[in-house]
Amino acid sequence: MAEQEQRALGTLITRRRMLQGSALAGVAAFLAACGTSGTSPSAAPTVGPTVGPTVGPTVGPTAPTAAPTEAPVQTPSAELNWANWTYYIDIDEETNRYPTLERFGAKYGTKVNYQEIIDDNDVFFGTIKDALSGGQDTGWDVVTLTDWMAQRLIRLGWLEKLDKTNMPNFVANLKDRFRSRSWDPGNDYAAPWQSGMTGLGYDEKVTGPLTSVKALFTDDPRWRGKVEYLTEMRDTIGLTMISLGLDPAEPDRAGCDASIAAITAAQDAGIIRDVKGNSYAEDLKSGDAVLAMAWSGDMEQAVVEKESLRFTIPDEGGIIWTDNLLIPRGAAHKYTAELAVDFYYDPLNAADVELYVYYLCPVKGADEIMVEKQPDIAEDPIAFPPAEVQARLVDFGALSEDDEKYFNNQFASVLGVG
Amino acid sequence: MAIFLRRNKRLVPYLLLAPGILWLLVFYVYPGFQMLISSLWSGSLEKGFTFSLDNWTNYTEALSRFGGYYLRSIGYAAAATILTFLIAYPLAYTIAFKGGRSKNLLLFLVVAPFFTSFLLRVISWKIILGDSGIVFGPLKDLGLLPEDFRVLATPIAVISGLTYDFLPFMTLPIYVALEKIDRRLVEAAEDLYAGPWRRGGAIAGIALGGGLGLLLGQIFGWWPPFLAVGGALAGALVGAFFISESFVRVTFPLSLPGVFAGSLLTFIPAIGDYINAEFLGNPDTRMIGNVIQNRFLTQNDYPTAAALSFILMAGILVAVAIYARALGTEELTAGRV
Repeated sequence: MAEQEQRALGTLITRRRMLQGSALAGVAAFLAACGTSGTSPSAAPTVGPTVGPTVGPTVGPTAPTAAPTEAPVQTPSAELNWANWTYYIDIDEETNRYPTLERFGAKYGTKVNYQEIIDDNDVFFGTIKDALSGGQDTGWDVVTLTDWMAQRLIRLGWLEKLDKTNMPNFVANLKDRFRSRSWDPGNDYAAPWQSGMTGLGYDEKVTGPLTSVKALFTDDPRWRGKVEYLTEMRDTIGLTMISLGLDPAEPDRAGCDASIAAITAAQDAGIIRDVKGNSYAEDLKSGDAVLAMAWSGDMEQAVVEKESLRFTIPDEGGIIWTDNLLIPRGAAHKYTAELAVDFYYDPLNAADVELYVYYLCPVKGADEIMVEKQPDIAEDPIAFPPAEVQARLVDFGALSEDDEKYFNNQFASVLGVG
Repeated sequence: MAIFLRRNKRLVPYLLLAPGILWLLVFYVYPGFQMLISSLWSGSLEKGFTFSLDNWTNYTEALSRFGGYYLRSIGYAAAATILTFLIAYPLAYTIAFKGGRSKNLLLFLVVAPFFTSFLLRVISWKIILGDSGIVFGPLKDLGLLPEDFRVLATPIAVISGLTYDFLPFMTLPIYVALEKIDRRLVEAAEDLYAGPWRRGGAIAGIALGGGLGLLLGQIFGWWPPFLAVGGALAGALVGAFFISESFVRVTFPLSLPGVFAGSLLTFIPAIGDYINAEFLGNPDTRMIGNVIQNRFLTQNDYPTAAALSFILMAGILVAVAIYARALGTEELTAGRV
């Protein structure tokens, strides 16, 4: 009994302390929002309870302003707002709660407002762009967006720079392949969350085994009129470039034109049924499509529902893409957001997420923990693609704004809207 | 307040209008103005947009590149409006004149699909019309349809979807118009020897049915002569045996206000719809709404998106004005009965 009482008292005290902290964090957030509404996207909210003592009592108004010598102490905020895609974190299916998020909340006394609100990079961008261009807080502290959208936000100066002194796990555990990305060389803005592969999804019972990306462009009675491409420009043009022997890591306008011509030829020949987003997976399951450009995570799920479906990275190569955790400019709880990113770079937490989402994890050490917890997963080619498959994966290269416009404008004709 | 209003009677209508006008100012006029401004921008998201009247070329460029999408949208919306009319009129007529005690239940059933979200209703069409779904799967298994037959990802699917979505918008106004017709007028017509329409009905049926069949065939891109002949035959049958002179001379003219309202309520949302074309169609069936969505959301090409929206809005306004003139607004607003 006594022990229980003590524990209850303990939580009371921490809760009270936390409330104080949150009041301060609120002030800090307000100041931060004011401070970052101007032109400096990297100004961090550094107002903490110990700022006062560093200013000596004898400092008069004319004294030169001495920079504080010791780093101000920051406190986690009472709330954190995180926008993510659906089924992109571990969920306890019985209680509908997020176990790792609750662990994070318990550790730092933060209530995470986690929303599965993103289902399209462009659409979500549309919801935050007015706040960002007006220098206001978007209401989100962490957003999860794909490489190319992260590139655009960096170009626009709409992201906060990560303060890596708060993020020891991130510094230590980020896998090497992410350490020299051309558009974020110092990993200053984007922390990879999950990577996925784009390859061939097909119904083996209808098409037979497929290994070449050329199947997508071949007129074959088995899949004629039942082939679907993706509405994501970089996936569709990327796979087409691979089929033409071009390198998607170095996209240029000539490669774009050649790809559009190849896709248009396939459309005119009646090979392609439609160009779709996520719903291609439904069509593969219903049989409306039998061959499609497909995403690895979707297919892992689809195979469970229809056993004859297959996912393959073609012999010629496939596309790898990454969604990143980003802190939008003027975010109210930047410090807590950094703590959250760092929390998920602890391999123990990353492995828990991974065992639910089945994408590729950017955190060193998580794979080993996953295999330990669930040994048969090592045999799963989608969650653990063999090294020779990984070697065939290509990142779609960065595009300048002008080139991105050009690619999108040409691609509109493939989508049937231009 | 009451005394104030009694003394200033002239103010009453304005005060009653005020909430609506305010609403329209804030949510229609102001955004419309914003849209007009951004349609005259040039530039890009990252370099910034600048306004200049010289950018009127946005309009000509949009029209020359996307003009075909307007025509397609008009075609699909017109086909959907005609089909909803053909389905809704007999339905509304039956409910109004033969509904009896189950009138309310029948009306409820007309509206019932609205309790489900628009998106879900479109997606259920996808399931129903699937290549091996509940309709075509068994027909294919029996060998009645070729294996590669499909309706999804064709104009027919898009138009069927539009027709279904807006059916209640056509049915309800027609029902209201029919409901308030004075039955004694019909009786009077019959007393004055209005009988079955016979020969006139057959001729009118052939002309109307044949014309509609040809038009729909053109829009569907699907056997126009076949549909024209079929439509003419069906029209002749209906005209000769099911239509009476009292309907042609009394009931139908009196129901025109409902037809007018219903066709506007169907045509205008249908022409700007992009959900049906997105989910039920394929790249060959996209409508102007899909183009605007792509320009606005994917390409961040706000000027072109705004110009396209403005052209659509202006076009609809002009078309509605002409249509109202043709059907006679005075008759419609006066409610002659």
